[in-house]
Amino acid sequence: MDLLNNLFIKPFQDMVSAPDFLMQVIWEGLVSGVLYALIALGFVLIYKSSRIFNFAQGIMVVFAALTLVGLHERGVPALLAVPLTLLVMFILAAAIERIVLRPLVNQPDIILFMATIGITLFLIGFGELIFGGENKVMITEDLMIPTGSYVFEPFGGFVLIEQKDLTAVVGAILLVLVLLLFLNRSKMGRAIRALGDDHQAALSVGISLSTIWVLVWFIAGIIALATGIVWGARAGVSFALEVIAFKALPVLMLGGLESVTGAIVGGLAIGVLEKLFEIYWGQPLLGGNTETWFAFVFALIVLLFRPQGLFGEKIIERV
Amino acid sequence: MNRHIDPGSMRTDDGIEKGGLLLQVDNISLSFGGVKAITDVSFDIRKGEIRAIIGPNGAGKTSMLNVINGFYHPQEGTITFRGERRDQMKPHQAVGQGIARTFQNVALFSGMSTLDNIMAGRAVMMKKNIVWQLLWHGPALNEEIQHRARVEQIIDFLEIQHIRRVAVGKLPYGLQKRVELGRALAMEPSLLLLDEPMAGMNLEEKEDMCRFILDVNQQFGTTIALIEHDMGVVMDLSDRVMVLDYGKKIADGTPDDVRGNQDVIDAYLGVPH
Repeated sequence: MDLLNNLFIKPFQDMVSAPDFLMQVIWEGLVSGVLYALIALGFVLIYKSSRIFNFAQGIMVVFAALTLVGLHERGVPALLAVPLTLLVMFILAAAIERIVLRPLVNQPDIILFMATIGITLFLIGFGELIFGGENKVMITEDLMIPTGSYVFEPFGGFVLIEQKDLTAVVGAILLVLVLLLFLNRSKMGRAIRALGDDHQAALSVGISLSTIWVLVWFIAGIIALATGIVWGARAGVSFALEVIAFKALPVLMLGGLESVTGAIVGGLAIGVLEKLFEIYWGQPLLGGNTETWFAFVFALIVLLFRPQGLFGEKIIERV
Repeated sequence: MNRHIDPGSMRTDDGIEKGGLLLQVDNISLSFGGVKAITDVSFDIRKGEIRAIIGPNGAGKTSMLNVINGFYHPQEGTITFRGERRDQMKPHQAVGQGIARTFQNVALFSGMSTLDNIMAGRAVMMKKNIVWQLLWHGPALNEEIQHRARVEQIIDFLEIQHIRRVAVGKLPYGLQKRVELGRALAMEPSLLLLDEPMAGMNLEEKEDMCRFILDVNQQFGTTIALIEHDMGVVMDLSDRVMVLDYGKKIADGTPDDVRGNQDVIDAYLGVPH
């Protein structure tokens, strides 16, 4: 009886009795959700255009953030370091296309997946070689990201919203809007979707495999940089950041690998749900630290009912 | 029979008169490691004709199409298209020069709608600035509307209006083949390569497809190279027929010439090599 009460009644009583705290929890969840969504977006983009599951997306986040901070450490002004980092990400995209992807065209997906694991290992080593392995602090202030906070007092309570989190959310929304416009409106966007469906057919209508691949990996690089700045501002820049890429996996399972909307909704949902679960169920009942596994269990349950994820393309098979 | 389309408007002007040399392939040899797919084959395609390539399975027909549109690069020989001589084509060159094709095992963008699939065929022709495309305004919008109008004409022509918005992966095979033809037509090609356009179709679908091929040829003046196994279809449709067997050319001429050729009969009936 006590257990049932703790599971199904008490958490909701807590939520109602302290609505300001509930709002704070949801906001925190939304902010991490935005980051999960950004990472997942990087995966989706590359998967859509090439059916490659890009294991290296996480390390690309670290690499972009490291390059930015590293350049700044070497005396490059912050506002110049951003375009320079983008240039580095572009060169990286071109190099990956030329050295890794092009020789592997037409190989089974699993081989390309293995190749992205190779890229991950390379970037870890290369990043440490150039920028060193120690933790760095994101140059939040030099990038003119505000660091103050707003305090609201709804229902006579207290909610604190940090300005850098707000900037992150607004920035992410803008980035996603531009990306959606690009995918749905431009001929490149159509080409990206086409390429993912059938390489041969795409080639036969004059879509260039290499151009699109470089483009897509570059966009994934831009997203990685945005994620790196935002996450770095919260948690510092270190190779440990890479593990947030694994958080994108349940987001992708939930959202479906092909869906941009799915990545966003999935990311936000997981961010909020894992925070709520941690605060209201995890800490009182399970001793806390549920955030590490909650997302995976949740995604597993969803997959039981919808194998293609919540937003995935219907699996069409004709025999 | 076709009310919606102005034939003159789609005719590609490549400066070659009807009957003039459009494509010439000289002494092409192609091998994959030790496997010789094509050995020293030469042939030509004249403007405005329907040219069939036939032969038993594994004779090198599809390989020949892949050489023409740049998917395969032959080890020897040259390809002359519209007066330009090359050792090998690249796919984007082939497209830029006006070579379109369909595939033996339908290659469509299965997650996309019929409309988007056919629009993809016009991708190379859309040149407006990406900023305009994103804003969905000004020159880019005009351009999109123009191309869309042309695509609608093609949809009318192929009588697939009712499946415009359907994801092509859900369509029956015969219709998929038709969408694929539509995508190739959207490129307004001067040479259209069809790889077994009637494979796996029932009689009615075959008749429809025959009619479309003849219409494309006669109304748009598109030159067509066609691989097909249905001999009735080949003999009815084509102006000239080339026969391949084990990668070698064994006959070339009008349907009647080829029908009576002893080598061809042997190749099809099977004589020890």
